[in-house]
Amino acid sequence: MKIDITIAEGVPIVAISGEIDMSTSTLLRTHLLELVGEKRPLVLIDFTYVSYIDSSGIATFVEGLKGMMHYGGKLKFVAIPANIAEIFSFSKLDKVFEMYGSVNDVLDR
Amino acid sequence: MADDDNISVPAYYLGKLEQKVAGLSTLIDISEIISSTMDLDALMDLVMDKAKLEMEAEACSILFYNKQTNKLEFEVALCGDDSTSQVLRKTITLEMGQGIAGWVAENLKPIIIDDVSADDRFFKGVDAKTGFTTKNLIAIPLVGRTGLIGVAEIINYGKKDYNLEILQLLCRQFAVAIENAMLYRESIQKERLKQELEIAAILQRSFLPESPTLKRGAVTLSALNISAAKVGGDLYDFIEPSEGLAGVLIGDVSGKGVSAALYMAKIVSDFRYAARNETSPSSVFNALNPQLSKSPRGMFLTAVYVIVDRNSGETEISSAGHPPLLWITGGEVKVLAISSGPPLGIVPVEYSSTPVRLSPGDRLLMFTDGLFDARDKDGGRIGFDNIVEFVRGHTTMPDLIGGLASFVSEFEQGAERADDITIVEVKFED
Repeated sequence: MKIDITIAEGVPIVAISGEIDMSTSTLLRTHLLELVGEKRPLVLIDFTYVSYIDSSGIATFVEGLKGMMHYGGKLKFVAIPANIAEIFSFSKLDKVFEMYGSVNDVLDR
Repeated sequence: MADDDNISVPAYYLGKLEQKVAGLSTLIDISEIISSTMDLDALMDLVMDKAKLEMEAEACSILFYNKQTNKLEFEVALCGDDSTSQVLRKTITLEMGQGIAGWVAENLKPIIIDDVSADDRFFKGVDAKTGFTTKNLIAIPLVGRTGLIGVAEIINYGKKDYNLEILQLLCRQFAVAIENAMLYRESIQKERLKQELEIAAILQRSFLPESPTLKRGAVTLSALNISAAKVGGDLYDFIEPSEGLAGVLIGDVSGKGVSAALYMAKIVSDFRYAARNETSPSSVFNALNPQLSKSPRGMFLTAVYVIVDRNSGETEISSAGHPPLLWITGGEVKVLAISSGPPLGIVPVEYSSTPVRLSPGDRLLMFTDGLFDARDKDGGRIGFDNIVEFVRGHTTMPDLIGGLASFVSEFEQGAERADDITIVEVKFED
């Protein structure tokens, strides 16, 4: 798994590639909690190159989301591939996370 | 008269001989130290301490070669004061070829520098950071059976009549000992992890019902739980919430290993408390959700809870982010994607129940994602649709759970299972 964080219009975009699982979610957690610690009002997760996510990976996002909810921050997912969308839909996580087609859809550019 | 017992030896040879004997005696001493411990940290401290003493040196250090980063990292530094050692440890890294240690690592050759200030290869950054002044040094590559392990440095040594050959021999022996200690440490860690997972699996099993089958009137509840090597935290439970009702819970805790098993154990206890005397599955989920929201690290539970009236077949189902159920009725298989809330323990929501009426001969199948996420040796997933297809072809199979388990096993072809598999069936008899 590789994590690349860029800032667009003041919004951190966390682009992840590869598998988010038990062994890689620790690294993701470190980055995500750092952004939560900075009290970022909006964080985007770009799923374009994510090939797989297991429940440990989802829990990492849940932890991030819960942390952001404390100060009213938003965690939004973008560009979710079909196989990942199936996992989210089975788990009804579409009721938990806001999901968008692309970064541009969120940043309105 | 000359004494026949006295043989005259020139002082020069005698000096050389004494030096070799002293060197050999150090070699023996260090060999003893090396074989005295398999503890990597203790081994390095003992050897460096001895080397420092023997060479009348002010400091000694070991830099480890990190294969992943292709860099050298300070592992141990024995200096006059501990604070300098702490500054160095893990904080300073050298590129291959950078500084004297980098040169030694790249060329795999020892080097002796009597005056580092006159040597361009010397990297001043380390002294700048520690406040230590390096005057002279000997750097020797540590090469074990698997190749470069690191570089040992003896700094500001006072002893001038040392034997480089013996020092190299020592470093070779030392490198092999470090390798052995590393392997030992790795095997201990593996063993510890294995034991922890075994405990997690036992803990998980101890919270499941004692018997995998519960028969009450026309209702038979059956389950199968296969733990993966890493322990996935699957759970199921049978309960009789009140007279005439049979309840069955299936769930999957996020994560794996000991934390998942502990969380699963807590959930089963909370569930048993919340479910007693409660006839609506959604009420149980609504009671559990806020409790599970306090869980650490974003842990959550996907679950389905089914309560069947064993006389009428009237059934209430609640789902919290769990995969759909399969309903075998009238020889057909329906994928029962009932209205579901998100997994438990994430956000405050209201869960609802969906009523279904089971007819005699109907079966309800529930499972965790470990079943349809099962992979073959090439990493291909079996997939939800193939599970549904299998059930469609075996609607009257008496042991459908066993049949499904064999179907998945055959697909896996012995590939290591990444997640627990749990299958639960509700059978409403004729």
